[in-house]
Amino acid sequence: MLNYLWAGMIILSVISALGYDINDEYVNRYENGKRYSAEYSLTNLENKAMVNIAGQTFFFSLDKKTNQQLQIEVSESLPENWQIIAEKQSSKNKQQLIARILKIDDAKKQIHFSLPEVHWVKINAVATAAFDMASFAVKLAIGLAGVMALWLGLMRIAEKSGLIHYFVRLIYPVLHWLFPKIEKDHPALGSISLNMAANMLGLGNAATPMGIKAMQQLQEINKTKDRASDEMCMFLAINTSSVQLLPPVTLIALMGVGVSELLLPIILATSVSTIVAIISVKMYIRAGKS
Amino acid sequence: MHLAQLVLPLLILFIIAFGLMKKVAVYEEFVEGGKEGFATAVKIIPYLVAMLFAIAMFRASGAMEILLSIIAPVFSLLGIPAEVLPMAVVRPLTGSGSVGILAELIQTHGADSLIVKVAATMFGSTETTLYVLAVYFGAVNISKTRYAIKAGLIADFSGFIAAVIVCTIMFS
Repeated sequence: MLNYLWAGMIILSVISALGYDINDEYVNRYENGKRYSAEYSLTNLENKAMVNIAGQTFFFSLDKKTNQQLQIEVSESLPENWQIIAEKQSSKNKQQLIARILKIDDAKKQIHFSLPEVHWVKINAVATAAFDMASFAVKLAIGLAGVMALWLGLMRIAEKSGLIHYFVRLIYPVLHWLFPKIEKDHPALGSISLNMAANMLGLGNAATPMGIKAMQQLQEINKTKDRASDEMCMFLAINTSSVQLLPPVTLIALMGVGVSELLLPIILATSVSTIVAIISVKMYIRAGKS
Repeated sequence: MHLAQLVLPLLILFIIAFGLMKKVAVYEEFVEGGKEGFATAVKIIPYLVAMLFAIAMFRASGAMEILLSIIAPVFSLLGIPAEVLPMAVVRPLTGSGSVGILAELIQTHGADSLIVKVAATMFGSTETTLYVLAVYFGAVNISKTRYAIKAGLIADFSGFIAAVIVCTIMFS
């Protein structure tokens, strides 16, 4: 399933990006090759003229030997399609549109120019996104390293002091129903129960290290090391559906949504998704046996 | 939510105090336990890269919009407002992406609208399934995930339906 989901995302991305781009080329969405003209006036400076575009004055050289350019600073007052071209152009400096001056008409005091051409926007965006995310993934993992060390350290203390043992005994009936094949004194049950407790309390950054620890301990009793065991699937499903009694509402509250009235719906919805997760894993396990 | 902010420091205090009470060499054990942290984080990297880059491509390419337009009719048949559809699709894929969608919905519909309440409930009640899968299975080098992803997505979907039903009953 994951193989198809993953490959499907990548293949669909490239195909649809190509589709958008070919369509853009076909309808010439970015008006490539369009000629613009503007009237200019001379300045006191030698060989310098100025032109007024969208309420702003830009200078350029009248010297016909040099490769003439008109540097247009991007601002809100530019025509909307110009702003889009500036945003989508391949040049890294999105704050500047470098127009090429095609012709200077001395008699009419007019210049003719063209804007940078814009091609293959989506394909470029897809490639950039892929590489940006690849380096972001490393930042994410390294960030996790510190949090992991903190919580694994605390967990070790809790384990040595017997705290985890008491806790597991307390909720063992539930644990046994979820993971019938794990022996009562196996350390995995400790990590699993801590992970579930952290999730319920809304401690996202504590739940992840504890969950990873639990996975590693489940891997010890897994018979095929590259293939997820039933226990692992159950544990993962519970985590992806996130049992939360104190949901991570801080973020929602920050965005200005009234959180207190949403607490009940969130708890109900998360309970439904968790129960469905458990039931579906149980059904898959049963289907696998028969 | 002042309660949630209190939980963390109190928990740390409790673990350390209980450890001291039971005569555990707290500092030494903490360091010993923390040693695995870095190795595990590094091990996860290839799994995270695989998952995140595919999702990033999917979002940047516009394939998402095509997918949304295909499933929108199915959603409206189920009586789910089409505006919350992006949240339902993006939530299992990316956390930051779904925050963006929530922000966008707040801007267009207002923080008090039913649509925003449904979307916020969806956001709060499920996890970034693919990310959790990459991290948890990555840490133990498992690439054959069997039915885990199906079960996770079924659970997400039922959570979304529950969010719509509960919010509609409570707020309209």
